[in-house]
Formats: sequence, C-alpha cells, structure tokens
Amino acid sequence: MPTANVTDARMTKFKNKGKEPSKLRERRIAVCVELRKAQRSESILKKRNISSLPDDEALSPEYATDNKEVISIAIEEIICNVNSNSKEQQTRGCQAARKLLSRERNPPLKEIIDAGLLARFVDFLGRDDDPTLQFEAAWALTNIASGTSWHTQQVVENGAVPAFITLLGSPMLHISEQAVWALGNIAGDGPAYRDALIACNVIPALLARLTPDAPVGYLRNLTWTLSNLCRNKNPFPPLSAVQQVLPSLVQLLHLGDKDVLSDACWAISYLTDGSNDRIDVVVKTGIVPRVVALMEFEELSVLTPALRSMGNIVSGSDQQTQVAIDAGVLSVLPRLLRHPKPSVQKEAAWAVSNIAAGPCQQIQQLITCGLLPPLIDLLRNGDFKTQREAVWAITNYTSGGTVDQVVQLVQSGGLEAILDLLHIKDAKTILVILDAINNMFLAATKLGETEKLCLLVEEVGGLERIEQLQNHENDAVYRTAQELIEKYFNEDVEDECFKTEATERDFVFKPAEVDKQFNF
Amino acid sequence: MFLTDIRKEFYDVVVNQRVALFVSSDVDALCACKILQALFHCDHVQYTLVPVTGWQDLGTAFLEHKEQFRYFVLINCGANVDLLETLQPEEDTIFFICDTHRPVDVVNVYNDTQIKLLIKQDDDLGIPAYDDIFRDEEEDAEDSGNESDSNSEPSGKRTRFDEGAVERRIERQRAKREWEARRREILFDYEQYEYHGTSSAMVIFELSWVMTKDTKDMLWWAIIGLADQWVHDKITHMKYVTDIATLQRHVSRHSHHNEDEENSLSIDCMRICFEYDLRLSLYQHWSLYESICNSCYTTSSFKLWSMHGQKKLQEFLADMGLPLKQVRQKFNSMDISIKENLRDVIEESSNKYGMKDIRIQTFSVHFGFKNKFLAGDVVHAAAALLENVEKEENPSDNFIRALDSLSRSKLDQLHCGIELAKKKLIAIQQTVASCICTNLILSQGPFLYCCLMEGTPDVKLFSKTLALTLLCKYLLKSFVRSTRNKRCKLLPLIMTAPMDVEKGTVIVLGIPPESETSDKKNFFGRAFEKAAESTGSRTLHDNFDTFVIELKTEDRSKFLDALITLLS
Repeated sequence: MPTANVTDARMTKFKNKGKEPSKLRERRIAVCVELRKAQRSESILKKRNISSLPDDEALSPEYATDNKEVISIAIEEIICNVNSNSKEQQTRGCQAARKLLSRERNPPLKEIIDAGLLARFVDFLGRDDDPTLQFEAAWALTNIASGTSWHTQQVVENGAVPAFITLLGSPMLHISEQAVWALGNIAGDGPAYRDALIACNVIPALLARLTPDAPVGYLRNLTWTLSNLCRNKNPFPPLSAVQQVLPSLVQLLHLGDKDVLSDACWAISYLTDGSNDRIDVVVKTGIVPRVVALMEFEELSVLTPALRSMGNIVSGSDQQTQVAIDAGVLSVLPRLLRHPKPSVQKEAAWAVSNIAAGPCQQIQQLITCGLLPPLIDLLRNGDFKTQREAVWAITNYTSGGTVDQVVQLVQSGGLEAILDLLHIKDAKTILVILDAINNMFLAATKLGETEKLCLLVEEVGGLERIEQLQNHENDAVYRTAQELIEKYFNEDVEDECFKTEATERDFVFKPAEVDKQFNF
Repeated sequence: MFLTDIRKEFYDVVVNQRVALFVSSDVDALCACKILQALFHCDHVQYTLVPVTGWQDLGTAFLEHKEQFRYFVLINCGANVDLLETLQPEEDTIFFICDTHRPVDVVNVYNDTQIKLLIKQDDDLGIPAYDDIFRDEEEDAEDSGNESDSNSEPSGKRTRFDEGAVERRIERQRAKREWEARRREILFDYEQYEYHGTSSAMVIFELSWVMTKDTKDMLWWAIIGLADQWVHDKITHMKYVTDIATLQRHVSRHSHHNEDEENSLSIDCMRICFEYDLRLSLYQHWSLYESICNSCYTTSSFKLWSMHGQKKLQEFLADMGLPLKQVRQKFNSMDISIKENLRDVIEESSNKYGMKDIRIQTFSVHFGFKNKFLAGDVVHAAAALLENVEKEENPSDNFIRALDSLSRSKLDQLHCGIELAKKKLIAIQQTVASCICTNLILSQGPFLYCCLMEGTPDVKLFSKTLALTLLCKYLLKSFVRSTRNKRCKLLPLIMTAPMDVEKGTVIVLGIPPESETSDKKNFFGRAFEKAAESTGSRTLHDNFDTFVIELKTEDRSKFLDALITLLS
C-alpha cells in the first residue's frame, strides 16, 4: 500500500526514528562538545596544569610539547651527545632521542632523520660492549621504522637490516626482542623490503630464537614479525620462505597465548589468500583441524583470522574444501552465521557461499549440517554486506545443487527470502538473485512443476517485485527480469490485464486499448 | 541552556525582532501564548503564531519559517528531544523553549548558543552533570586508535611507546569504558520517566510580573494554565497546591491593588477570587445532577455505572435534603436559598459517603455581574474546542477558536466550548461505564489494557490526545474502584483507539498507576520506543508526549506482546 510507505518514509524523518542510534549518539556528543568547547577551554587548561604534571613528571618539557623550537633545541643537544666520544654522552643522547620517538603524539621522526642521526644509531647497534646503548639505538630505530614508508626507507638505507639480523643473536633477550620488533616493522612495509629481508636470511635467524623457554612477550613479537614476513601479495613471499616458516607457525598455533594465536592465525590467512597451490602448501601441513578449533574461540582476535583463513581454504579446490569439511568446519559455521558481530556473520556467509559452489555432495553436507536455516535468517536480517554473501551462497547452491536439493532450499524459505531482497538498490546483487530464481525455475521445469513455483513466487509478492525490475535503470537487470517473466509468467501477465480491465475499467481505460493494439 | 534572567536573556533580546511563535495544542500552551501575545502587543513586537500538533508539524512549520526568522519561541514543545538534531537549523537560529515536558534533553540543557530554556530551575529537574555525560573530543581522539584491534587485521608496523605511556593508555581506556558505562546508566535513569514541570503559562506570567506588565487577564490565563495541568493530570497534588499558593499571592496583590476601582463594580470589571470549590465539572453551567453524573470524582466514588451506584446517588441526594426538581434543573435557575450554602451541604454529605476530597482549591473569575467561571471549567471548554470533532475543521481553526474562548471579549465562544465539553464528558462517562460493564479492561500482567474498537460510540473523539487522556484517567480511576483484584489496582493502563481508518492506525496511550500519592511519572514513552524497535512495528512517535503514539493496527498484537515481555 503506497500510503504505508509514505508514512514510513516520513516517520524516519522525525524524532530520530530510523537513524542508527549509535551514530546518533556520536553525533550528539560531537555537536555538543563543540558548542561547549569555547566556554570550557579555560577550565580545561587549568585542569591540565594540575593533572597532566604527575603523568610526565619524569620527562622534561620537550617530551610533551609540539613547540618546534623546544624540539630543535633538544635535538641539537642530542646530536652533540651522540657524536661525542664519551660513552655516557652517547648513551644519554641516544636515550633522549628514543624518548622523543616514544611519545604518543607527533614523535619527531623526520627531525631526527634530518639531523643525520640514523647512521650513528646503526653504528651503535654493533656496540656489543655497551648493551644499554645498543638497546636505546634499536628502540629508536624501531620507532622510526614504524612511520611511513619513507621513514622505513631511511632506516634500511642506513644499513640497519644486516645490523639488526646480527643483533637477533644478542644474548640479552630484551635487545634481541627489540631487533625482532624492528625487523617486523621493516617487513611490514611491503613486499619489497619483506623479500629483501628474506634474502638476507632473516627467517633462519628468527626461527633460531623460537625456543620453548622463550618468554611470552618475546614470542608475541616474534610471531608478529613472522606474520609480517608472510604478509602482502604482488608478489607473494617466495614459496621456499613459506615452507621455512610454516612448521614454526604450526607450532605457534598450538600455544595458549591469545596474541600469539592471533598473529599466527593472521599469518595463515595471508598464506591462504592466493591461488590453489598456495593454499595447498598450508593444507598439507595438516593445520586445518586446528584452524577449525580456533574458529570456536570466543576472542574475536583469534576467531576473525581463523575464519578468514578458513574462508580462503574453502575458496580453493574441491579437494581442499573437502579437507575443511572433514575437519568439521560445517559444525562450527552455523554458530558463526548467528554470531552477534555482523563482520563475523559476513565472513561466515562468504565461507558458506564458497562451499555451496562445490559439487552436490558438499552441498548435501551443508544441508545435513543444518546450515540452511541460519543462512536464510541472514538473508532476512543480516546487514547488507552479509546479505550479499548469503545471496551468493544461494545462487551457487542453486546452480550446483541437484533438483532435490533446490526443492529443499525452496521449502526452507530460501526463495521467499531472496525475493524479499529484490528491493535493494545494488544492481549486481539483483542480478545474482535473478540468477538464483532462474536456477530454481530450471529445477522446477525438470520436475514439471513450473506452475507451482510461479504460484509460489506470486503468492509471496515476488512477481510484483520482478515486474517492477523491468523498469530498472540497469539494462542487464531489466533484460533478465523481462526474460524471466516472458519465460515463466507470460500467461499470468495476460490474465492480469484482463482482470484489471474488467474490475477497474475507468482507471485503465487507455492502457487497455493500447494493449489491444499490441495484440493485433 | 537554562535562562536565569528571562527578562534580560529572552524578552529584551526578542523585543526588537520578528519572532516565530510555535504553540502546542494544549490548554496551558494556549494560556502561555495569550500572555505572551499580550506582552508582544504592548511592545509592538512582530510575531507569527503557528499552532503545532506534533513533531512532524513542528518540522514543517520550522522549514516554512526558517528563512524569514532567526528567533523561534516554542511553547510546550521541543524541550524533550535534541532539537538541533531534529530540526537541523542554521547556526544563527535561536530557540527559546518554554515547555513543561520533562526530562529536558541533555543536549538542549548544555547547548549555550542556540537553545535557551525558559524553564524554572527550582523544578525538580535532576539534570546529570556535564562531565558525567560529555567528554572532550581530544580525550576521545587519543584512544580511538586501539578500538577496533580485535576485529581487523593487525597493523603492519608498530611503535614502541614508553612503558609508562602504555600503562597510561590502558588506564585511560579503562577509565573511559567505566565512564561510558556510568554515562549510560545516568542517562537511562534520567530519561526513564516522563513528567511535567511548572505550567508554561505561569512561567510566562512570572515574566510579565517581573516586567511589571502583568494584568488581571494575564493572571487569569496563568490560573487556567495551572488548572489544565490539574484537569489533565499532569502534575502531583503537592505541586498543584504549591503553585495555587503562588498564584493566590498574585491574586490578592491584584485585588488589593485595584480595591478602589473594584468598589465601583461595573459591567466590564473582572474579578478573580480564590475558591475552595467542588470537584464537579461544569456544574454552574449544567444541572447539579448532570454534573454529578458526569464528573470523574463522583461517578467513580458512587460507581454510577451500576444499579447499586445509582441507588446510592439517590440516597446521597436525599441525604443532602435537596429536592430532585431543584437538583435536575439548570444550576442558574436553582433557588438562591439552596445555592447559598450549597458547597457546605454537599461537602457534609460527601464526607458521609466517603468522598472526603469533594472540594479543591481553585479560582473563579467574574466578568461583570453575570458571568462567573471556574478555572477548571474553562479548561474543559478550551480543550473541547481544541479537539472539536463535530465539524470537519482543520486543526488550526480549532486552535484559533480555543484561543479566542480565553478572551473575555469572546464569551460566546467560551459558552460554545462549555456545551462541547458537556458532550465530551457525557461521552467519556458512557464509554467508561460500557468498558467496565462489558469487562473490556484486561490485565496483561505488567499493565492493564483496554482497546476501543471501531464502531464504539464517540470513537472519533477518542482519537484525540486530550480526550483519550481524560478517558484513560477516568477509566482507570473507575476500574480501580470497581475491581476486587488488589494487584490490578496498582497497574498502569494502556488504551488504544482507532486513529486513522484509512491509514489503518490506532492511537496508543499509556498512563501511570492510579494512586493518591502518584508522582505522575510515565515510563511508557521509553517502553513504546523499545517495543516498536524490537518488533519492527510501524509506529509514528509524533506526539510531544512520547507516551502517545500512532501504531499500525495489524502490528498491535506483536507490539503488545513485546511490551508485556519488556515490562514483566
């Protein structure tokens, strides 16, 4: 009923109805704060004077200020100290630089680089006689490498890579750890530096530090750095490097620390995000059952990368997907489809869509494991991105499934759910839905029950929706919709015309005449 | 923000400006409007008066006037939502809001530039402290970096911060989470209940008094504004009595003031008197009998919908010793001798019949020699005119008519209103009687529920907020007296009545439980919103009172189910 729609649309305009509450709240706060700001700034300043002092009491003003002059004076002092010959002064200068670089707001990365300090810092990395200096220099360089690509580049070009790799072997754990961290930053910059590091044999050096007695903090850094070495495409890391890292990753995936698990899992997800032969390398390690187990974790930090990895694996070959199914992925996915976080629902739906793209035996396993009800729920209630994945799942299912399987889907409410989605704007998704509908009709034709399906579509208001799509601005959509109607609903359409002519003659007087002309 | 000096911060600001005056459809708003209009006339302030019936209306009115006006005065609307968010005005637009709706939206309270609240701060407002509900964006920005950690890919690079910095960051995040949880709690407590504050007419009257521009007419309107809050059950008895006392001081000041002139009574003089009068609606314009039969206090006490009640009424009349003939004829034509100490006679018998509070503090007005009106009766008349459903009039015609009925030069309009009010009270009593006799009030667990079906007599009248409010209140009072179920006596009531047959909607209204000591706080607004949200019911929250909504008829059962679950 058009009036209903009008009211609904109007409703959203008032009293915050229809707007997302969380957004609303954000906005309210923002607006208000702005308005109050002027008046309050004075009192805030006063407060700051009192409360911020104890925080920074150990630090001189330069570590908190953004004042250019104060910083440049501090840096000049650092230059002076670092370039002197006295050990104490060098350490003091290096530490001052490190402190500047460790502050939370606007650390002066560029200023330190421009001061030409990096070469000296890299020198200090080799000073095995002075661990404190080594450590301070390593920390400072780590933080510079954590900046933009340009910042990282300056660190590398000053020869830090070999120095850090050497430093990995330091007997002092905290120094070695700092080296691990710095190398992680360099590897995380992109494929080029990643491969440069790999070429410098960073992997054996890192893996040598992976011992059972390593403290958790150390292991976290190590895992993260390893994951960065697996990260990034175009190109992928060399296969030989992957082969080197994988056994250790498998080991790490069996540890108990959540952060280690998370980063190791992300590494797996990077490695599986590629062609089937890349996936194969991972699957062959036998890690898939463990990934399934990790998908059952409550912590999103573990669940998310595990689910991502699994999604990647089932996007591979039928055999690879079968390994995942045999590992029990289908018993975990229903729960994830119902996960409170939309992002998890979306990823889970994506995984299901890829399994549904498999042979009908795998589709049968989807049905057996009860994935249809949660999937159809998502079609109805998921957010848009999730719905899109769920639609793909349906279309894949209908194109690969047997007639019986398609019938089962329709009986479970799948048809009605996708028909309801035809009102969305996205043309691509509509085409995918129309494809699924077409597949269902093909199945119905095989059974000789086309009319039954037509009736069903009409009953749930689908015909009306498809008819409206004939006015869609997208050519492909309108043509597909038209084809569907011509192929399966043609008689009905004529019937409908006669009916309207008879009942509402006054209203459709003219269109009826036009129709007649067409018939001639 | 609240204005502390309404004269300086409001009146002196608008006095040389053009003002748009948006007035809600209730009697208190009408009265406040009358006083303000009188002041504006005095000082030649140019204004445009626009009646608004709901949020949609307000939005449209704002759109239509925002080009020509910078200053907007809102009466009995606008305080309880974030107005800037709702209307999206330009930055130099300024709203002066005189509204009894509570709680006042916190953004309105703390906005210093565009929202000026003409609200008495000695009202029990309970505004949360600024620091408890708002934070500086800087503080927020610092911590936003680590928010989405667990959900997305880890960063490719990481900076190593000072140990201290990490601890401080963690500590800040913890504090922030705690603060947010507390904020939610505070806001929930603050926004949970809806209620009404000091009458807008009284607030505006006080302004006129501060400016020494107050007249007797203005005072009378302030009185009617307060009476409206009493009649429509918006404030507690305590608050009513306190405010009556305030007004009484003004009344005696005025009568004192004009004593000399008053001695020479003239045809056009105006006299306001404090009265300790009967809680019998419109009796001076009706017959005593009809008034007793159609006043909530007496009908519910006698249970007049039953035979037994009717009998008791006869006994009561006999006890007073008033001849039936006198009681049934027009009050004006009753014997002077009977009228003389009528109130005492009625009070005495009422006490015997358990009606201890038959009298109530109020005021009356005399225009010349002939016309005398009680404040409550004027409220009934004006409300009946506001919601006149007899002719197909548009709401703004009704509004103007109701506004006119408050002018002493338009007494004919007031008499019209009184006639309408009689019909309305009769309709209400008949509906109450039929609802109770046919057991239409159902206990749903956490609340009572009564649904008026399409086709019920006078159903059109009850699609209006004020009429439905009165019906609800009278029905609940009567039901509480008639039921033997003790638990039911303590329940709030929800009523639905057909609203728009074409659109297929009903009006839904919820009122708090009936009790002597009721704080008149209403939690249905929040509950309705939540129930609608959780069921996807198609609702329209257009009324300035959030406990009145419009609902698609076919969504009614799922909406009610959700409400039961929510409140159990």
